[in-house]
Amino acid sequence: MLFRILKNSFLKRPKAVFLIFLSVAMGAAVATAFLGIAGEISHKMALELRSYGANILLEPSAVEGGGFLREEDLPKIKTVFWKYNITGFTPYLFGVADFSAGGKKERGVVSGTWFAKQLEVPGEDPSVQGIKGIAPWWEVQGTWPEGPDEAIVGATLAKRLGVIVGKELDATVHGRTQRFRVVGVVTTGGYEEEQLFAPLVTVQSLLQKQGKVSRVLVSALTVPMDEFGKKDPASMSKDEYEKWYCTAYVTSVAKNVEEVMAGSRAKPIWQIASAEGSLLKKLNNVMLLLTVLALVASATAVSTSLMASMAERGPEIALMKAVGADRFQISAIFVGETLIISIAGGVVGYLLGDQLAGIISRTVFNSAITSPLWLFPTAIISALVVAIAGSVAPLRRALLIEPVKVLKG
Amino acid sequence: MLLLAVLAMASSLATALGIVSSSMEKRVAEEVRKYGANLVIIPESARLDVGSGGLNFGVVSEPSYLQQKQVEEALVKSALKAEVSFHLRGALQLKDADIMVEGVNFSDIRRLFPWWQLKGNWPAAGETIVGSDLASRMKLKVGDIVELAGSNNKIPLRVSGIVASGGEEDGLLFMALPELQRALGLDGQLTLVRLMVTAGGDSLKKSASALQMLLPAAKVNEVRQTARTSEGLLAKVKLLMLMVTAVVLVSAGSSVAGTMSTTVLERGKEIGLMKAMGGTRWEVMLIFCGEAAMLGVLGGLAGYVFGSVIAQFITKTVFSASADFIPWFAGISLGVSLFLALLGSIGPMISVFRLDPVRSLRGE
Repeated sequence: MLFRILKNSFLKRPKAVFLIFLSVAMGAAVATAFLGIAGEISHKMALELRSYGANILLEPSAVEGGGFLREEDLPKIKTVFWKYNITGFTPYLFGVADFSAGGKKERGVVSGTWFAKQLEVPGEDPSVQGIKGIAPWWEVQGTWPEGPDEAIVGATLAKRLGVIVGKELDATVHGRTQRFRVVGVVTTGGYEEEQLFAPLVTVQSLLQKQGKVSRVLVSALTVPMDEFGKKDPASMSKDEYEKWYCTAYVTSVAKNVEEVMAGSRAKPIWQIASAEGSLLKKLNNVMLLLTVLALVASATAVSTSLMASMAERGPEIALMKAVGADRFQISAIFVGETLIISIAGGVVGYLLGDQLAGIISRTVFNSAITSPLWLFPTAIISALVVAIAGSVAPLRRALLIEPVKVLKG
Repeated sequence: MLLLAVLAMASSLATALGIVSSSMEKRVAEEVRKYGANLVIIPESARLDVGSGGLNFGVVSEPSYLQQKQVEEALVKSALKAEVSFHLRGALQLKDADIMVEGVNFSDIRRLFPWWQLKGNWPAAGETIVGSDLASRMKLKVGDIVELAGSNNKIPLRVSGIVASGGEEDGLLFMALPELQRALGLDGQLTLVRLMVTAGGDSLKKSASALQMLLPAAKVNEVRQTARTSEGLLAKVKLLMLMVTAVVLVSAGSSVAGTMSTTVLERGKEIGLMKAMGGTRWEVMLIFCGEAAMLGVLGGLAGYVFGSVIAQFITKTVFSASADFIPWFAGISLGVSLFLALLGSIGPMISVFRLDPVRSLRGE
């Protein structure tokens, strides 16, 4: 009997049912899209902010003595505790050289570095490290160097030497000369414009500093500094220190990297690190509030549309009561109806919301999104909860109906 | 009543999201300023230093200077909205060692370099700030007196604070600009000017070239690291807010239109009666649309007020700034509400019109 009533109530008024279904599905879609995206968005934004450049600087601890770091320690950066937070790093080796090209002579800085180096670390996924990854604001005319004797020249230096892409220039250090082919000219508006960038190995042999680097720039995902993070680690108790070490503050990641590089000290680059922290915190808060707003709104929309459809069914209920239905049976019919509609709406809404999240993520961040598995049950259950909550009030009113009054009109 | 609430909710959502996302761009732009200057002015023949970290290769070329007066005049003429800080760098002797000293106005520094991690206090007259690397090299701490030797005189300064930034500042000693200009005998001269330009509408590149025209003896450089990245970030935030707003509006809107339709569908009897009494389609339509429009206007007004409150709340909690009160959003809010109300009632009404009044009155 219950089944027959339910079946007919769907088949006999398809429009009304469809409208409720639509609003439940839309509500569930918004909920799914927002929940799915809110978790990812802070991560995506953090990655986005990494394009401001490296936030940790590794230097030899004895700067004055002209100390160096060892190139062979570099792969260890990919094995530290915070390795998944480190999005990239680039070593540099600096030296002063005399450049000459086409009869012009200039004194300038030669930097050996990685541009986009394939790095294979045993036990870790292979990765590409270098300037290309951590300094996306470089505007290179031409191409990036690939061969050992190819180089990129800063725009100001190139102008002074009168070299353009495709030309060659000589760099002389203590009587040794290396010929570079200019494959690119870089504009940054910073000190890079005064330098020549060449592959690390070539510069090492030019400067006779085999296996050595002057500094390493590390780009890491970090959490904003809070009061606890600002405390001096030296004054912490053992438990506090552990907590500090296991939170991805820029200082603790720096400490972590410092430990694997022999003879180094790591400094946060505060210009990048502090601005990033506060910006990230604010963006996350906005998303959180918007998510709450969207959820509340879709819940209200769904429950009002349920109420609207229930409110008009007084005569039906009165008739059921008159022919002897008890409260339980009436509730069963209405709750059953709501359950079926909201489950169907939840499933459709989930599929729709998943697509929406994907579209947003693709257009804004150019990357796919993997929606977590728990989202499916959450979407359906939330659709159910909202639907049931929305039908409580009209159901209560329906149960209080006096059949005689209603049927008389 | 229910309908009014739903319409008000939808339009308040539209208002709140609209206000938040339009003010979002401004707020984020303000946040992004914490990344520092986006334009630098240097003398034409000068070379930029090798960069962060105090790597010192000695003087590679003869120093050259900017005239402070010229720069100030050019800035006034160009009418750029910008925060400026003047820098002069030179070598002074401390305990017989050459150290790099930078002359700055500390009040500008506090605004343009919010990331400085300062131990101690900002300096008063006759005081100085020392970079952390330099401090540990020279074994200086807060409260010490340093005696700097210039070309002809000695300047005693008290160390009021030690700064760590992870950049080139760590290896420098900072003092007040006029004092350094006097000590070096370089009155009114500068080596570097940093600008934080609020790009109002036109891009930074345009501001840079406009300024370049006014300063032929200087070079105006765009700091790509902060400038370009910020532009990209702002565009992304804007796009994200737009998408989010669109998603919420479409879904809430369809839901509201659905509710609207449900109530109209249930009024078949009423329509039947009107028709039976001789109302033309047009008249019936007018009555219903009038009702819907009234609901829409009321809902829109309530929604605007409510939405502004929500937007205010969000901007206050997140950016601790008050949202702009944007009157023309009242129009949007009214429009959304009216549109939804009419959209929701027209669709079902058309199908109801096809009904035979006799049948709908008999309740079939």
